[in-house]
Amino acid sequence: MSRRGDWVYENNGGTCVAIAGADYCVVAADTRLSVGYNILTRDHSKICELADKCVLASSGFQGDIKALHKNLAARELLYQHQHNKRMSCPAMAQLLSNTLYYKRFFPYYAFNVLGGLDSEGKGCVFTYDAVGSYERTGYSTQGTGSSLIMPVLDNQLKSPSPLLLPAKDAVTPLSESEAVDLVKDVFASATERDIYTGDKLEIVVINKAGMKREYIDLRKD
Amino acid sequence: MSIFEYNGSAVVAMVGKNCFAIACDRRLGVQLQTVATDFRRVFKVHDKLYIGLSGLATDAQTLYQKVVFRHKLYQLREERDMKPQTFASLVSTLLYEKRFGPYFCQPVIAGLGDDDEPFICTTDCLGAKELAKDFVVSGTASESLYGACESMYKPNMEPEELFETISQALQASVDRDCLSGWGGYVLVVTPTEVRERVIKGRMD
Repeated sequence: MSRRGDWVYENNGGTCVAIAGADYCVVAADTRLSVGYNILTRDHSKICELADKCVLASSGFQGDIKALHKNLAARELLYQHQHNKRMSCPAMAQLLSNTLYYKRFFPYYAFNVLGGLDSEGKGCVFTYDAVGSYERTGYSTQGTGSSLIMPVLDNQLKSPSPLLLPAKDAVTPLSESEAVDLVKDVFASATERDIYTGDKLEIVVINKAGMKREYIDLRKD
Repeated sequence: MSIFEYNGSAVVAMVGKNCFAIACDRRLGVQLQTVATDFRRVFKVHDKLYIGLSGLATDAQTLYQKVVFRHKLYQLREERDMKPQTFASLVSTLLYEKRFGPYFCQPVIAGLGDDDEPFICTTDCLGAKELAKDFVVSGTASESLYGACESMYKPNMEPEELFETISQALQASVDRDCLSGWGGYVLVVTPTEVRERVIKGRMD
């Protein structure tokens, strides 16, 4: 891929997960940045706090991701100035979708998961593809380890699954600590089998009290 | 589309306490079209040895016939059944003979060896063996299966618990793969008995 003179993307790897609860949202991502078989750094955050109840985790090409996060943060600031309040998570979800589709013919190589609390205080998770197609779900994962993690989340969090029809309530009945434990477990499993996932896990928990950040060590190999 | 994804498949084997389990999905497709919903991918070689073959279905069937032929000859000459480790080497050799025009299969071998010690292994389409102490996976849903098995597996499970675990791992993984599914065949083999169960899942 790198032999072509016109290939402008690269995949820096990594995995992001988000789970929505009745009154909380957990957003997590590993902190490894890789290029090919090399690790560039073990300490790179993929998570961006866009508003007080809204957090974006993105994996893919970090150049595009930095630009995307900067773009969204700037738009959120403008919104604050114009509306005298911070952007809600569902509003940011729509903005992200539009921002991604704006570059439909030269996309952001970014696979996003947006998590936070909606205007009623319930957890919400929005999952995206690279060009802005999005869906509100109870949980999601994107990135190199997503195919390893998704079936485990489906198995453990049946009710808010996007695979069930008719769509049930998009939040899980798990408690906050159970959801955080589940996230730690799935990342431990993904780290074993995915070479791009590992080093450290950054977990952000959003609830009505605010935002809490936690770091867990993962395998460094 | 890759030739390995032409028919769609999912095969997984897990080691338990003095037993093993081997499972596969039931879909046979021709690219996007589903052609059969009761296709068997796990075959018996002898009472304590099973082989699961994922990948191109025609190659899976041919390879199974070749392997059974070789095993029957072995039984006639040696007057005994083949050990799983020997069988794995046999499969590896058969595949490598076609090094420059391979069979598009990924076999999963599971058996009870000496002293009924469970043995599992998988090979790639050219015959490179990968022995594992815990579980092996293959097929279009292999990445999902790796994640699910890694999370759900624990060592020394009894046959009933092993059956539950392997079934849940298989179902969760094939539900996220369009090319495999339509239920599953799960075989749990202990030194005294073999239980085969057909599990029903999302029929899509």
